[in-house]
Amino acid sequence: MANRSKLSGTAALEDIEGVASQAYLASIVECSDDAIYGKTLDGTILSWNRGAERIYGYSAAEMVGRPVSVLVPPNKPDEVPAILEKVKRGERVSHFETTRVRKDGEVIDLSLNVSPIRDASGQIIGASTTARDITEQKRMREALAERAKEILDVSTPVLQVWEGVVVAPFIGTLDTQRAQQFMERLLDKIVQTNSAVALLDVTGVPAIDTRTAQHLIETITSVRLLGAQAILTGVRPAIAQTLAHLGINLADVVTRSSLAAGLRVALDILNLKIITQEDQAKGAHSL
Amino acid sequence: MTNQNISLVKVRNTLLVTMPADPDDVTVTTLQEEVLGAMEEYRPKGLVLDISAVETLDSFFARTITETSRMVTMMGGQTVIAGMRPSVAITATQLGLTMVGTFTALTVDRALDLLTHLHPRRRIR
Amino acid sequence: MSDLARGNIPIKSENDIVAARRVVRDLATQLCFGVTDVTRVITAASELARNVFLYVGAGVMWWSILDRSGEVGLELTFEDHGAGIPDVEQAMTPGYSTSRGLGLGLPGVKRLMDEMEIHTEVGKGTTVRVRKWLRK
Repeated sequence: MANRSKLSGTAALEDIEGVASQAYLASIVECSDDAIYGKTLDGTILSWNRGAERIYGYSAAEMVGRPVSVLVPPNKPDEVPAILEKVKRGERVSHFETTRVRKDGEVIDLSLNVSPIRDASGQIIGASTTARDITEQKRMREALAERAKEILDVSTPVLQVWEGVVVAPFIGTLDTQRAQQFMERLLDKIVQTNSAVALLDVTGVPAIDTRTAQHLIETITSVRLLGAQAILTGVRPAIAQTLAHLGINLADVVTRSSLAAGLRVALDILNLKIITQEDQAKGAHSL
Repeated sequence: MTNQNISLVKVRNTLLVTMPADPDDVTVTTLQEEVLGAMEEYRPKGLVLDISAVETLDSFFARTITETSRMVTMMGGQTVIAGMRPSVAITATQLGLTMVGTFTALTVDRALDLLTHLHPRRRIR
Repeated sequence: MSDLARGNIPIKSENDIVAARRVVRDLATQLCFGVTDVTRVITAASELARNVFLYVGAGVMWWSILDRSGEVGLELTFEDHGAGIPDVEQAMTPGYSTSRGLGLGLPGVKRLMDEMEIHTEVGKGTTVRVRKWLRK
């Protein structure tokens, strides 16, 4: 059997890898933060790098010669056999997220890459596993998702972009409760900032269904009742078409295809001292 | 009994009418009568209806406002509804009260500005 | 679903429409509904009370505070013994109005409330029940 070094466990590689230079391999394996370990096709550990010692808490001496199943949590008895089956067929397992148990009993989240080890004749004689500790990553991912949900929950921002102009990105996928909250927040902001114009930007709306259209029309109507001018910006042909199909007449709503164009209209309105009856007929019914 | 008084003053050749918080039907009807009387007497260029204190706008109130507005227009003036509360604006929209034919303004100040700059004689029929 | 409290007020005059609004405002405010929801409920009550007074002349508004597995709600029931609504479906169609041009405003009321039930029988009377639940 191989000469097992108590210090690094990489000596076992001598038996397995014949193609690449051992020193080169040793350096990659040792410097890596990832756990890299080799095992036989029945799961017996043959090599165990420093990363593996750090991640799993077992020294090389403790792990070499033992079955890899000691690392597997009791609720996943079939996982290693399934992985080894794939490897025997010459397949690789990539970015497989799972859990393993450290020496101290702590359960950690890992991302595994397992590939076949071939001898000089090309026959598969073992499996090489690289395991990356993603516990921290996973925790951050979950925190981020939670935070994103919080942000969406708490507010769709209504921004005052100019004296007298507020902009609100219209989000179509809001449920009824959030849609109501959006309207309230928008109207309160208009009153609070004494704004004459509210730009409702639908650039980010992927699709308009009946409910979204109703919410949109209600928002526009409420803004006008309040006494401000609503301008719909970011209306792409597809959206205009859908609204037309839904029987919604946008003729009395000021629309622009881009937020920038809408802003220009807003500034015009603010500068306008005299509102002619022609403009009124076109729909500028409020100041 | 809460305040049911409508305040009506003439400001800058405009009628400024201030509604109480929860006007009963009689008060709402009085609004129309008082406005018509004042239009007769002063011939102002318009009516500013200040509803900033109003908590509930039901269909009866809304109908009276639009009727009054139509009469004001027939007498050569324009009507601006000022100060509608957000909660009232949303509720009115959802109830289906669109107040067609009236102008709206965020505040009485803006309403007066709006009327000052309108030229009723250039109305397009 | 259980009843935590209930009461009623008669509707037989224009003043009763105002009274209905006041009662509903007090209830909705005490139940801690948001300002817009309070406005919605009061407005719905005003519309339905007015229907009773306008078309029948007399009726009753019942109110109850409901508990549905921890969820709190306000229920208003408008009951009259009038002519009944001949075609409820038509009355519920947006844009429909009676010959007097006033209409019952039922589609609008439905939009303001969470739940609405109408029981009507020609010659016997009508009961309109609406509910609004407190949002978490």
